[in-house]
Amino acid sequence: MGRSVKYVLVVGAALLSAFVVRRTGSLPPTPYRLSYPPYFGNRTNVGDDNPLTVEGVALGRRLFYEKRLSRNSTISCASCHQQARAFTDGQAFSVGFDGVRTRRNSMSLANLLWVRNFFWDGRASSLEAQAVVPLTDPHEMGQSMDSSVEKLRVSGFYETLFGGAFGAGGITADRIVKALGQFERTLISADAPYDKYIRGEYQLSAEERAGLALFFGRANCGNCHGGPKTFNETYHNNGLDRVPADSGRACVTRMGYDRGRFRVVTLRNIALTGPYMHDGRFATLGQVMDHYSEHVEPGETLSPTLRDTMNVPVQLRLTAVEKNELLAFLRSLTDSAFVTDKKFSDPFVTLK
Amino acid sequence: MKKKFLIVVVAAAFCLPGVGAFSQTAPAYSVKVSGEVTTPLTLTAADLTAMPRTTATARDKKGVAHTFAGVAIADILNKAGVTTGRQLKGENLAKYLLVTCADNYQVVFSLAELDSSFTDRVVILADQVDGKPLPAGTGPFRMVVPGEKKPARNCFQVTGMVVRFAKE
Repeated sequence: MGRSVKYVLVVGAALLSAFVVRRTGSLPPTPYRLSYPPYFGNRTNVGDDNPLTVEGVALGRRLFYEKRLSRNSTISCASCHQQARAFTDGQAFSVGFDGVRTRRNSMSLANLLWVRNFFWDGRASSLEAQAVVPLTDPHEMGQSMDSSVEKLRVSGFYETLFGGAFGAGGITADRIVKALGQFERTLISADAPYDKYIRGEYQLSAEERAGLALFFGRANCGNCHGGPKTFNETYHNNGLDRVPADSGRACVTRMGYDRGRFRVVTLRNIALTGPYMHDGRFATLGQVMDHYSEHVEPGETLSPTLRDTMNVPVQLRLTAVEKNELLAFLRSLTDSAFVTDKKFSDPFVTLK
Repeated sequence: MKKKFLIVVVAAAFCLPGVGAFSQTAPAYSVKVSGEVTTPLTLTAADLTAMPRTTATARDKKGVAHTFAGVAIADILNKAGVTTGRQLKGENLAKYLLVTCADNYQVVFSLAELDSSFTDRVVILADQVDGKPLPAGTGPFRMVVPGEKKPARNCFQVTGMVVRFAKE
């Protein structure tokens, strides 16, 4: 065979394979550009093996709302994480596919890109590891990952979407949680009045300003919920019970001093995410403020930030006016654009 | 006695399924030293008692000074085989110590800040205050950084120390 013939064959084969690649949808997916304010910082939590792509995020959104992922195809992630409620469900404890309630309160999903410890007790270190738990928990979505893969496969239309997002290799358990993780990392809430205030685009009202001063001052909320993200990666016993019924962080570490400690969660959209605390015991933000104001319980593991130098619980003794000021400030953390953003809504509804 | 109480009540409280219920024997409190070390360590209360002891003073929220006793961080780093003293030059100056506490609070020191060839200040890992064990909430092990205006690095319930290179 002549040299030029060989060349033609090689080039021809390359062109053909490129054509085949395009037809099967395994062209490399398009990188997804995350956009967030610089004041959130860049200590993000994205696995090297799961970079965000446009196709992966779109697939993840679909899976987030996909009821086939529950055992009797009645609930999806979005059942307990509803966008209008900043991805919570308004319940103290959520109802699984079988009607049984969970043992902890459904967590708000916002700014997860920066979270490094998931669940109230921080037992998962990635969104991918987190997702497996509610998907397979016998009383939440109640379905093995293998069954989920199979149900998506027989639906007929997921094969192409997985190919577009991850290339050849079809639908796998690993890819299901990766796509979910990609979508969840795009849930960035950064357009509340408080953000506009930080950016110099909004003047806080007198009441909000007084609330902000209390939040970072005398009430000391900012000690744990400070910084524009309003959470930090720490665990505290905030004095709910003298003897906690739920061991919290100690369930993971088995250390006595972690008993009754729970993650410091975000206050973003907090006016939408009641009831509050890991067990949803407080129906309103007013009750939450009453707790920190008058009812912090002593206990072995009570956070040092809630004790005075004599080790006695600090009760803030807020006046009614101060509570209203704090409430006004907390409401300025509500991001109405986030909870109505079509990018995060149910794609099955949008498609109809 | 206090510790025994903790373990018992912990066993009585509920944990979520699959998270691992408590056994009656909770692990002993310790500080793990890892990262850019030649000898990773898991220091228990007994290990700290057996090491060279030193003291440091720090003020509480009310400004009252207390004497803390424990082990110099420099000695812990030496024991772990970290690049201290004469080795603390060149690229080793781009190393830092990340201290993690039980509540996941984290603070950073540059190695030079902790080294006696750079500074006379002795930062310690304390296990006693005013001659007594640290109180619940701050013990069994805490940092004491003398002379700092803010107490934010005097962190409580230390569980880990990791030495790393800054990788910029």
